[in-house]
Amino acid sequence: MAHTGWSVFSFDGIGTAWEISTPEDLPGHVRAGLLGLVEDYDRSYSRFRDDSLIAGLARNPGTVTLPAGAGELEQLFRKLYRLSNGAMTPLIGDSLERLGYGHDYALRPAGHPVPARRWEDVLEWKGSEISTSVPLVLDIGAAGKGQLVDLAAAVLRGAGITEFLVDASGDMLHSGRDPLRVALEHPYDPAQAIGVVELRDGALCASAANRRAWGDGLHHVLDGATGRPIQTVVATWTMAATAMEADALATALFMVEPEVLAEEFEFSWLKVYSDGHAEYSAGFEGTLFS
Amino acid sequence: MTTPLRKGLLVGAAGLFLASSVAACAPSAQGSTPQKTSTITGPYKDGTYSADGDYISPNGGETVGVTLTLAGSTISAVDITVHANNPNTKEFQGQFKNGIAAQVVGKKLDEINVSKVAGSSLTSQGFNKAVETIKSEAK
Repeated sequence: MAHTGWSVFSFDGIGTAWEISTPEDLPGHVRAGLLGLVEDYDRSYSRFRDDSLIAGLARNPGTVTLPAGAGELEQLFRKLYRLSNGAMTPLIGDSLERLGYGHDYALRPAGHPVPARRWEDVLEWKGSEISTSVPLVLDIGAAGKGQLVDLAAAVLRGAGITEFLVDASGDMLHSGRDPLRVALEHPYDPAQAIGVVELRDGALCASAANRRAWGDGLHHVLDGATGRPIQTVVATWTMAATAMEADALATALFMVEPEVLAEEFEFSWLKVYSDGHAEYSAGFEGTLFS
Repeated sequence: MTTPLRKGLLVGAAGLFLASSVAACAPSAQGSTPQKTSTITGPYKDGTYSADGDYISPNGGETVGVTLTLAGSTISAVDITVHANNPNTKEFQGQFKNGIAAQVVGKKLDEINVSKVAGSSLTSQGFNKAVETIKSEAK
């Protein structure tokens, strides 16, 4: 629940738990609209189901037409691909599968890490049209959940609802006049927090290397240049106007200096390192416990 | 982060040095350059004094603003501002505004009053289920 007395609509979607909190119960047609939205998104982008558009490209190269919102994803990934010199890439899917984080959840490496293919070599992405020249596992996970949070918020606004919290298991978007106190989960202990932020009219997203870890030094945040998991940064948080940007930037902070990202994005950031120290921008001033 | 911060501190020291006309006692650590030391001596009126100084840094020309608060002829507060004359310095200033915590401190979630938690422990059900399966198979 977000605020005391608010109503919560909970469901599972894109492999995670969702909670949408609103002052009043959501009407049935709005709930149905939200569930349909999430199902459509999953059927387009999931690399964990065989019948998705993305799964088709993993079997055979070719052209697919993604939903209209794909153009925003393209712009965002293109910018981050450039700023990270290729380290942050939607072509990381094959590297993830190689290390065992694939649709079959083998969680056992199938060999040495492989670098992601270069965007310019194998992928043409213009708006909602994607063409590939080789079989590819596209992974838009770094921004996809955030975009779906934004799309869910658009459904709510379309229904005339202005106060809400959309929470997709820790990546969230708040709308309304009363700020929400949100704990920043301790990277090594989910029963603890390392600080509290007040979120109001914006998105807060988190990314952590330690959670989805399945072996010695193997986790799901990989460097596209080497295909290896990234060390040293263990958790990041971001605040931005949209959840899509906040989500992608939380991942980008693992491979790009925040000052570089700040040249092209309006956002606040917090990074926690494996030695326990933290660095943060002005937007996170005063949020950490001391 | 350490390198830019260190550069920032150097800028600060230069600023103090140039502010010697405001308060002679401030740059006592700069004894190796006595020709720049002010000959003005106290007592000083209590109050807050500000001055700008120019100097050449590795980035080029810079202006540093220094504000001193004097009480009983001693400095009770020093505030240094680097005015951004060039893009490199602007970048340093941006980094100054960023913070560093030496060590994060955990508190139990049930001891703090929050509505939500932002983290990644709940992120992937599929992943968590797979880990549970592997754990049970490994028994």
